[in-house]
Amino acid sequence: MKRWISIFAALAALGLVVPSIIDVASAADKKYTVALIPGLTTDAFYITMHKGADAAAKVLGVTLVFQGAADFNPVTQVPVLNAIIGRKPDAILIAPTDKVQLVEPLKKAVDAGIPVLTVDTFIGDGHYQTGSGDADFPLSYIASDNILGGQIAARALAKAIGDKGKVYVSNVKPGISTTDQREQGFKDEMKKHPNISVLETQFNDDDANKAASQFQSVYARNPDLTGVFGANLFSAMGAANGVKQGGMNGKVKVVAFDAPTSIVGEIKSGNVDIAIAQHPAEIGYFGVVAAYAHLTGQSVPTLIGTGFTVIDKSNIDDPNVKRFIYSD
Amino acid sequence: MTTTEAVPNVSRQIRWLDFLAAFRAWLFLGILLVTFEIWAHAEYNSTFFLNPFNVKSIAIFTVTPLLLGLGQTFVIISGGIDLSVGFTMGLSAVVTAHVFNWGTQFGSPVLSLVLAVLTGLGIAVVPGVINGMLIADLRVPPFIGTLGMYGVARGVAFLLARGTTVPVQNALIGAIGNGEIAGFPNLVLLTVAILAMMHYILSQTRYGQHIYAIGGNVNAALRAGINVRNDTVVLYILSSLTAGCAGILYTAKFSAGAAQAGEPVLLDSIAAVVIGGASLFGGSGTVIGTVIGALIIAVIQYGLVFVNVEPFWQFVAVGVVIIISVLVDQIQKQVGKDGANG
Amino acid sequence: MGQMDSVVGSSPLLEAENLSKRFGGVHALKGVSLTLLPSEVLALAGDNGAGKSTLIKIISGVHHADGGSLRYAGKEMKFDNPHQARDCGIETIYQDLALADNLDVGANVFLGREPVRRIFGLPMVDRRLMREEAEKTLRALDIHIHRLSSPIGSLSGGQRQSVAIGRAIHWKARVLIMDEPTAALGVPEQRKVMELIANLKGSGVGIIFISHNLIDIFQVSDRIMVLRRGSKVGEVRTSETNPDEIVRLMVGG
Repeated sequence: MKRWISIFAALAALGLVVPSIIDVASAADKKYTVALIPGLTTDAFYITMHKGADAAAKVLGVTLVFQGAADFNPVTQVPVLNAIIGRKPDAILIAPTDKVQLVEPLKKAVDAGIPVLTVDTFIGDGHYQTGSGDADFPLSYIASDNILGGQIAARALAKAIGDKGKVYVSNVKPGISTTDQREQGFKDEMKKHPNISVLETQFNDDDANKAASQFQSVYARNPDLTGVFGANLFSAMGAANGVKQGGMNGKVKVVAFDAPTSIVGEIKSGNVDIAIAQHPAEIGYFGVVAAYAHLTGQSVPTLIGTGFTVIDKSNIDDPNVKRFIYSD
Repeated sequence: MTTTEAVPNVSRQIRWLDFLAAFRAWLFLGILLVTFEIWAHAEYNSTFFLNPFNVKSIAIFTVTPLLLGLGQTFVIISGGIDLSVGFTMGLSAVVTAHVFNWGTQFGSPVLSLVLAVLTGLGIAVVPGVINGMLIADLRVPPFIGTLGMYGVARGVAFLLARGTTVPVQNALIGAIGNGEIAGFPNLVLLTVAILAMMHYILSQTRYGQHIYAIGGNVNAALRAGINVRNDTVVLYILSSLTAGCAGILYTAKFSAGAAQAGEPVLLDSIAAVVIGGASLFGGSGTVIGTVIGALIIAVIQYGLVFVNVEPFWQFVAVGVVIIISVLVDQIQKQVGKDGANG
Repeated sequence: MGQMDSVVGSSPLLEAENLSKRFGGVHALKGVSLTLLPSEVLALAGDNGAGKSTLIKIISGVHHADGGSLRYAGKEMKFDNPHQARDCGIETIYQDLALADNLDVGANVFLGREPVRRIFGLPMVDRRLMREEAEKTLRALDIHIHRLSSPIGSLSGGQRQSVAIGRAIHWKARVLIMDEPTAALGVPEQRKVMELIANLKGSGVGIIFISHNLIDIFQVSDRIMVLRRGSKVGEVRTSETNPDEIVRLMVGG
């Protein structure tokens, strides 16, 4: 009998007391929970993003949940997302692993009353809250502007090779929004440099060995090659090794997108000439801030572009530059 | 034997197909080289194969798929398959890099190199032993057992790498990985040494003979007193070891270990074994065949870049070569069988 | 050799007494005894499940008997596995022949016992020796195979059977157990194998021969032992019986 009474009391508390608490308490006092779902959990980029998000969460008194799959794949990401929706956080930050396949699963979150923000990657076309299309429902897209990143890479490379010669993009595979945009930005910018011709892009499937071999083949055909833009870590690593193996260090300049810890040694040894570092911690930080802003009734920009840092031999030891190396 | 007049015809056909089967990989390679040579001349007025830079680049490119496919050749001959080699390679690459960095505290780069290589090989043995025991003792089908190990090795490799590449802070390993002796890249020389050893084991030792017997008829092997259980465990250890070698050489080449070093190469390496004349049903295959198979894939991929063909045709080209290769094998078997019955 | 034959010939090669075997609740063999003399073909007849396989598997070391004893060349034997039986000279040729189709004749004859020579200290399988020895053995048995270096899968059923028998003989089998050796063969090839068995008798080998084919049994065997439901229901000299009697024993009644 006692048990029944206590259960009744609990139900009464849930039904009556809780709403009254919410009514009474100011929104700022509430402890919000924000979930961050990365593209994959095992990548330094997302690990660094997690750190930035954590920093923001501490400042704002938000509880941060970090859960994701081990690989960059919608098939493994969606179940994680569903589990998170089941936990009912106050907001979801996610790096969607596919522009299309994540649309429906994320709609379920919105249906459950959970606002969604995307970080690093996007769904649909990345333009949110436009009232058109079926993938404009996320509140905000917080990311590096990858087109801009590609442009910065092109400018840096053009400068390094004295504004003339042949260059090409070593890329992972077509269809990845971020690396596609980097390539696009790079090519767009190079159009402004008439003495530089951009050769056919080589796709390496994220295999550094293949990227190295492709570099050598392109070089064998084009002895006047002066530069390569590696659109991600392994593309750059492979191109750098191709340069090294052929003894062309200094003659062919390598620009790497992203700055994991290994890039320090590569730049110091001259295998990589320039690295374009994204600011993943910034993405994480502003992701949490944007979510919090929304939860506390503030309006949020639909697009937040974070910055880049160009790293080369001359500034790699500068602590202001060094902090943009992704930590592991 | 009653229709005497038909016999010479059939046997001539068989002999021709036997020949074709034995040399089909060589034939493909020859045709490819000639094609690219003509193509390069016609379109760019330059040589392809006679350019030593190209030859060297292709040789280096071949190292990883070849080493991954080397132990795999043994496994496939026995009628099994090892899907875990890609991440065994990554695991070994990451561990080698870590141990190399850890070992530098002792002040001797050579000592830390030795430690790193031994640990890299040692860690590679672990998935091999587990694969072997799953398959030999617990009767788990190789496809499933090694797929499980693929996941385990992958997880451990990523954990150890903490999500990034592990750079090696030591010039020695990079110098070895990218150096040459008398114009021959060290990586290629090391691979040739490993190849020679594996070729000897497969073609000359009783163990090698037993691998063929296991792949041909495992019951016959058992009844003949062959220790199929131990031989199977050794098989998967060999497969892991060659993958481990690939991982160590990767770290040497890039002065960094990466968990996903071998994963994109897995299917190419299996394709190399099949193009080289091995049957996925077991019983046939050679080390030389796998070498040719790996060279074929490398020449296609390198050559198509060289003649500036759109990248997607690479996939098509490798696919077509695999299909033709398997077709020739099937036709040869079919005609051979008809010949024996006729 | 001839002298030895005559010495051995006076005593049984194989004596099994009261062998019995249970598999769970099934009493597969109930106290069966068997004697095999040198140069003798003993046929085992019986319906499916009569216990023929169990009996030969005990003799060849695959199964352990629950009860009874086995004497081989006058000595008490207990085989833990087929290899021990084989090392003593008891060879079994199963229906599937246990040949590796992808290997040549020499490699099959020497399967698991490959000879090795050393070149610069490295042990290497001696393929030429295997082929020559295999050819010698086969020729002695009047078996002629032209494609000695081709994989055995390209040979006919009869030729493969000959290779399996040749392998047993090469390894000095004194007791040869043959499980349905003609079942998968065409008529001309059956005849060849029967001739081969008749030849083998001349070399002092004792043969236990399982067959469903009464014509074969009557053609080559010296004695016929009939099993039914795990028991021996009859044992007769082939010259003193006829197929009808054997069938009656097999089905009972």
